[in-house]
Amino acid sequence: MFGLSNPQRFMAFTGPLTPVLWGLAAVLLGVGAWLSFTVPADYQQGDTVRIMFVHVPAATLGLGAYAALGVSSFFALVFRHALADAAARAAALPGAAFTALALFTGSLWGQPMWGTWWVWDARLTSVLVLFLFYLGYIALRASIDDEQKAGRAAAVLGLVGLINLPIVKFSVDWWNTLHQPASFLTPGSSGLDPVYLPPFLTMLAAYGMLFAALWLTAIRTEIRRRRVMTLRARLAQEA
Amino acid sequence: MLDLDMTPYAAFVWPAWGVSALVLTVLTVRAVVASRKWKRELARLEPEQTPSSEGADANCPQAARSALGQEK
Repeated sequence: MFGLSNPQRFMAFTGPLTPVLWGLAAVLLGVGAWLSFTVPADYQQGDTVRIMFVHVPAATLGLGAYAALGVSSFFALVFRHALADAAARAAALPGAAFTALALFTGSLWGQPMWGTWWVWDARLTSVLVLFLFYLGYIALRASIDDEQKAGRAAAVLGLVGLINLPIVKFSVDWWNTLHQPASFLTPGSSGLDPVYLPPFLTMLAAYGMLFAALWLTAIRTEIRRRRVMTLRARLAQEA
Repeated sequence: MLDLDMTPYAAFVWPAWGVSALVLTVLTVRAVVASRKWKRELARLEPEQTPSSEGADANCPQAARSALGQEK
């Protein structure tokens, strides 16, 4: 496992793996979309239950991507590991996009079900803070010319943002929120009717595969980009 | 059976799915385009360099830093 921290080994290992992940993501997305529109409408939510099949996976991956960003930032900051820095950077944009999708699709579900697009309850607000952490991370990296300094400063921000993850997860338990508590895979909960499990789990797996494919591709691209920068600098010195 | 009649919630369901599909497509296209661009650029530059990064010893920490452009 730790051998993969070597960029050459990482590139060799992920080279054949990445197309497999892209293929799995495409197939699972297709099957998940089909299943999502073949299940019956919910007796209370009606057809808005179908929004859950894109909302919950987006929110889950928004959180998961930040966990990946935070852990990678830790290794980049403590061990000065360049591959960890590339991994943190690569997780930021997909993570921000998934979080934005969670906010947008949640709002579209909230209007017909709650009667409002937005409410400042703990879950929604903490997810908005998560999105702002992503934007801050991306902006901080872009604002400093020296890539190593930018990486270190962004890694500190990435680590600070980790504090928000348990707040997002447990906000529905710690405070009274309009957002319902976790109900999908919670044992003993009255949550999800079994008929909705196949589309929900397929879409969750599809989003997971897609994030993995996006992340690995972005890390590989970042490794190549940095190699190109080094080669260009070397050529400029020789000229 | 496929059910595409979202009445009366079509104005909420289709934008949620449509924007999700659009964002995921943009992310995918962006990742693939960037990947191809830097792969092409690296292939163009590497033959000019000796030794190439492909020939670097994977067990050597210096090679690892070099491959990431962190060589100082």
